[in-house]
Amino acid sequence: MLAGLAPLIVLACLLSGLVAAAWQTRRWLQGAPARVARLQGLIAMPGRYLVDVHQVVARRPRNARFHALAAGGLLASLALWCVLAVPPLRYRPLWGVLALVLALMLMGAISVWRRRQVDRPVELSGGGFDRLPLALLLYAGGFLVLALAELFTGPAATLFSSLGLIVGTFGLAGIISLAIGGPLKHAINGMLHLAFHPRPARFVGGKRDTGLVPLDLASARLGVERPVDFAWNRLLGFDACVQCGRCEQVCPAYAAEQPLNPKKFIQDLAMALAPGASDDAYAGHGHPGQALGSAHGGPGEPLIGAMISDATLWSCTTCRACVHECPMMIEHVDAMVDLRRFQTLELAALPGKAALVLEDLRLTDTLSGRGPGARLDWAVDLRIPLMREVMEAPVLLWLGEAAFDLRAQRTLRALVRLLRQAGVVFATLGPEELDCGDTARRLGDEATFQDLAGRNIATLSRYRFDRIVTADPHSLHVLKNEYPAFGGGYEVVHHTTFLAGLIERGVFGPLSPDGRKVTYHDPCYLGRYNGETAAPRALLDALGLERVEMERSGLRSQCCGGGGGATLTDIPGKRRIPDIRMAQATETGAAVIAVACPTCTVMLEGVTGKRPEVLDVAELLWQAVERGGIAAARSGMPA
Amino acid sequence: MAAFDALLKPLTIKGLTLRNRVMSTSHAPSYGSDGKPKERYQLYHAEKAKGGIGLTMFGGSSSVAVDSPATPWNQISVADDSVIPYFKEFADRVHGYGGALMIQLTHMGRRTKWDLENWLPTVAPSPKREPAHKSVPKAMESEDFVRITKAFAAAARRCKAGGLDGFEVSCAHGHLIDQFWSPSVNERTDAYGGSLENRMRFGIEVFEAIRAEVGQDYVVGMRMSGDELLENGLTNEDCIAIAKAYSERGLIDFVNVIGGQARDHLAHAISLPNMAFPVAPFLHLASGIKREVGVPVFHAQRVTDIATAARAVEEGHTDMVAMTRAHIADPYLVSKLMEGRVDDIRQCVGAGYCIDRIYEGKDALCIQNAATGRESRMPHVHTPSPKKRKVVVVGGGPGGLEAARVAVERGHEVVLFEAKAQLGGQINVAAKAGWREAISGVARWLGQQVEKKGVDIRLNTKATAALIEAEMPEIVVIATGGLPNDGDFKGKDLVTTTWDILEGRVDPAETVLLFDRMGQHNGASTAEFLARRGAMVELATQDQMIGEDIGGTNRPVHLRELYKLGVMLTPNHDLVEVYPEGNKRIVVLRNDYTLEEEERVVDQIVVELGTLPVDQLYFDLKARSLNKGELDLDAFTEGRIQPKLPNGAGGFALFRIGDAVAGRNVHAAIYDAARLMKDI
Repeated sequence: MLAGLAPLIVLACLLSGLVAAAWQTRRWLQGAPARVARLQGLIAMPGRYLVDVHQVVARRPRNARFHALAAGGLLASLALWCVLAVPPLRYRPLWGVLALVLALMLMGAISVWRRRQVDRPVELSGGGFDRLPLALLLYAGGFLVLALAELFTGPAATLFSSLGLIVGTFGLAGIISLAIGGPLKHAINGMLHLAFHPRPARFVGGKRDTGLVPLDLASARLGVERPVDFAWNRLLGFDACVQCGRCEQVCPAYAAEQPLNPKKFIQDLAMALAPGASDDAYAGHGHPGQALGSAHGGPGEPLIGAMISDATLWSCTTCRACVHECPMMIEHVDAMVDLRRFQTLELAALPGKAALVLEDLRLTDTLSGRGPGARLDWAVDLRIPLMREVMEAPVLLWLGEAAFDLRAQRTLRALVRLLRQAGVVFATLGPEELDCGDTARRLGDEATFQDLAGRNIATLSRYRFDRIVTADPHSLHVLKNEYPAFGGGYEVVHHTTFLAGLIERGVFGPLSPDGRKVTYHDPCYLGRYNGETAAPRALLDALGLERVEMERSGLRSQCCGGGGGATLTDIPGKRRIPDIRMAQATETGAAVIAVACPTCTVMLEGVTGKRPEVLDVAELLWQAVERGGIAAARSGMPA
Repeated sequence: MAAFDALLKPLTIKGLTLRNRVMSTSHAPSYGSDGKPKERYQLYHAEKAKGGIGLTMFGGSSSVAVDSPATPWNQISVADDSVIPYFKEFADRVHGYGGALMIQLTHMGRRTKWDLENWLPTVAPSPKREPAHKSVPKAMESEDFVRITKAFAAAARRCKAGGLDGFEVSCAHGHLIDQFWSPSVNERTDAYGGSLENRMRFGIEVFEAIRAEVGQDYVVGMRMSGDELLENGLTNEDCIAIAKAYSERGLIDFVNVIGGQARDHLAHAISLPNMAFPVAPFLHLASGIKREVGVPVFHAQRVTDIATAARAVEEGHTDMVAMTRAHIADPYLVSKLMEGRVDDIRQCVGAGYCIDRIYEGKDALCIQNAATGRESRMPHVHTPSPKKRKVVVVGGGPGGLEAARVAVERGHEVVLFEAKAQLGGQINVAAKAGWREAISGVARWLGQQVEKKGVDIRLNTKATAALIEAEMPEIVVIATGGLPNDGDFKGKDLVTTTWDILEGRVDPAETVLLFDRMGQHNGASTAEFLARRGAMVELATQDQMIGEDIGGTNRPVHLRELYKLGVMLTPNHDLVEVYPEGNKRIVVLRNDYTLEEEERVVDQIVVELGTLPVDQLYFDLKARSLNKGELDLDAFTEGRIQPKLPNGAGGFALFRIGDAVAGRNVHAAIYDAARLMKDI
């Protein structure tokens, strides 16, 4: 009978594993200091795991099931082993409980095996991950035999018990080896990452914490050059990556075969935590067009160049699809922007047209280089009141860079007419409105962003208004989520939200139904960044349009390719992101793809060939109002 | 789109902000009524404002005084207060669409007729005959100076009171003020003649009186030539000096520059350049003045496309670019630019049809846009029809294309049959003749539109009754056009037609007699075509002059070319008979007045006798159609839907339009088509 020996062997293994794991923490502890509420985090951790992580994992029920069985079984069995190690507590029925737990774990392990070996998804990594099913099967199977044998007596039971112990111990040794630098390190790092997460606010009651953290422009080094420049808890996050490939599946740049695979990007960061690192051992998909084995680096070595190519860095559209899908709650976009900050502010190494556009922005306060004085050029005949003339208005209409674009001006025209029609009293900053700084910030030019933010906030502080309404989700995000860190706190509402509210109040009267079939494309900065997916849909439904959804919609929508300055860095791929998105829209059979962002509009309208018509939600509403025949003569401006 | 940014930049003049740089200059479409701009005139300009234009100016040569009559082109009289309410209504309409509205004021001086409503002699600085109107003026006396100066100031007050955004005074095209400027007219020896300073005096007095009346804040401009291009006329240096002198005195807020003058037929044609001219031929004159003056410069003259317009503004040649005829062709030019639909702009081809009509006492109409000037009845933008129908159009000439275009814009399913490999019909023939090439733009735009909007175009397909009925149409439009009339004289088998020559089926011979019975472009342009290929050409016609029915801005260009090429012009002769003699042909011509016959020995006789309808298909289908092919003329002219249309129980209604009915012109075919289809 091995009743006394087995638990001790298991605990000894476990203890050695914990020692090794503790040794592993130095990988991420070499990061820069971070202010973390450790105790609060540890207390909050189980809740974060059960609620937030579960919400992500449960998007794939099968994965959730096998993970619950395998991981739950393992943890429960380890707890039982601890009990069984204490002789007075070693009640025989406990072996039965252990057997049950291990039987459940065995089912999970078989699922893991099937997934890894039989119908294996392409986004999964190989390497150590390929040994995982065997270790789990041996552990669960071996100790299941042992536990069952412990319920009986006699030579056969002893034989099975011994066999079980040997097999199970092999399995456990395998599991422990995989937990040290292998796939199962996610169990430990993942838990710690949840506890010490750099964005604890994202776990608080359905809040979205998506604004970038300000960079102290007085720091000795601006942005991140080397792995050790990241705060330790962010390195911990990278090291928690389980290489499940969900980010890879949703990344628009990866789909377009631009040289960015977010999984590989996080792995690059994690691998670089060991001195003399290379990506030789990485066994997943690489960055498209880049051979594996060529990356090398170390904790104190620059990341961009040898470890991660600059093309990878500048391919990101900051769409947050990867972040939204990540079951380990890793913040890919924050890492991208920190790396960009160093490239832009310290090295001035911006690719493509980005440097020229930022230069224009610095000189003229507008990306287009036209200057704020021209912001209302398109609207002379609309006679929009200026804040500096009226000093106060219930609604401040933030125009954004869209005011310089012919296409986007049509959306703004529709919006202005709708506001007039609804009797909304509004005004704009006009020539006093500077670029909000979104593009500069995403491209790493924190200095220009902070300069613009400071001056915009100073201007806004001179006037009284209840809320800011904007048709640009990028402006919305920056004004609402990123200006508060600089002293600006406003109620900022997207035009679709505002218009949906007006419709609900019935201010537009009867809307003439539009029989067309429409599909709605969620802008990343409205949906994933700000959680607004309902209002534009409610608005389209109110217009009597037949609404069909693309496969990827709402918070899981696919980017148009225009965010994060990607149109300026313009990293080539094999396809164009907007083409991919438009193909998804065309597949629905919709006649119209409704948009709610000037960037999406430009990107999607740039798609050639037969495709749905691209119309902003405001344009569709104005068409319906006009058809409804109640358009007042005062709104009869040219289109 | 960045290329057109310059056009969409607002311009502020005094307190007036124009929303963009595109404008229409004052002209005289003959839409005035009783000297007032009433509904038709207002709707015509309001449509441009709706289409996004920044500034539209109306009332070319609007009169300020009784001895400058408004009658000649149904124009506007600002000589008394009764016009003010119309100005108010007009301004409200245009402002409602966000546009600005101005008028042109003038005293025509000697450039008008004395035998009109008031039977007053014309006046001028000196009693020198005006060639275009053949009036011999009275030299102005001191009381005339006082009276006319006051009249200008009073008219200016009426503009301001009427809510107009400003006005310009015409000092161009040989009107009274530039009659004083120009040494070719002003031979005075008093303080108003002699030196340039003296010659400028009268105009300065007029503008000073205007300023005293309307104040410094009201926008007042001046239209002037940048070079009269005339011996003893105003030189470029004179014009720059005048522009500087007037603007530096604070008298004017903008200067609207033209090139040339208009005192004889050719000068007139040059000042209103047709398709024979390059685009923007006088932009350099505006540019030269802009360099010297501190006020905004406006410029018009054959700026037909937005690329040229954008260049004119972007490169700084002018501040406002006037696309006057371009807006007659497409009042939605600016909104199409703003909507990224530049390809949908119907571009002016420079046919001069609009302006030529007014010199014949008719209203201005666009050769290709049947809605212009008919805004109360004809929509520029077609709305969907309540009932979707299957429409078959036979013939891809301008009439058929317009019928297909309107039908598809109304939401109908349209099939278009064209027997040839190319759309365009007779326009393709006309475009073969030298400088008339640009007429092809009419068909090119229509063809592009019908293709883009999804008309099922069947080229190389000669429609038959069976083919049409197989389409199960509800509406059949026969627009099969015409073919050359082969005449009714003896020996007609011995002649060839202008079509044969232009389409290259018959080579020009050495000596050619071209006999033209239509007096239109066809004969004149074919004569030029022949002469340019080395033929010795005589152009004979029964009319009193060659190209008698060609308008006033086109005929001079034809005549200039024909004279240059040595074509012998023989009016007042009829063709009696043709007979062979050896390898030669003898043509017998008869003088219509003496009845004496003359003979010509030539190698080739070419005739232009108009067209006869191609109507076999129409008559094949007539009996089988529900309406027996009848067009209800009352419904047609009153803008109502045709009464006998199928109502779902099968059968089709049959209509015949354009030259397939009777040989007319491009506008007639397009108007037939649009007028029919807009209500179906």
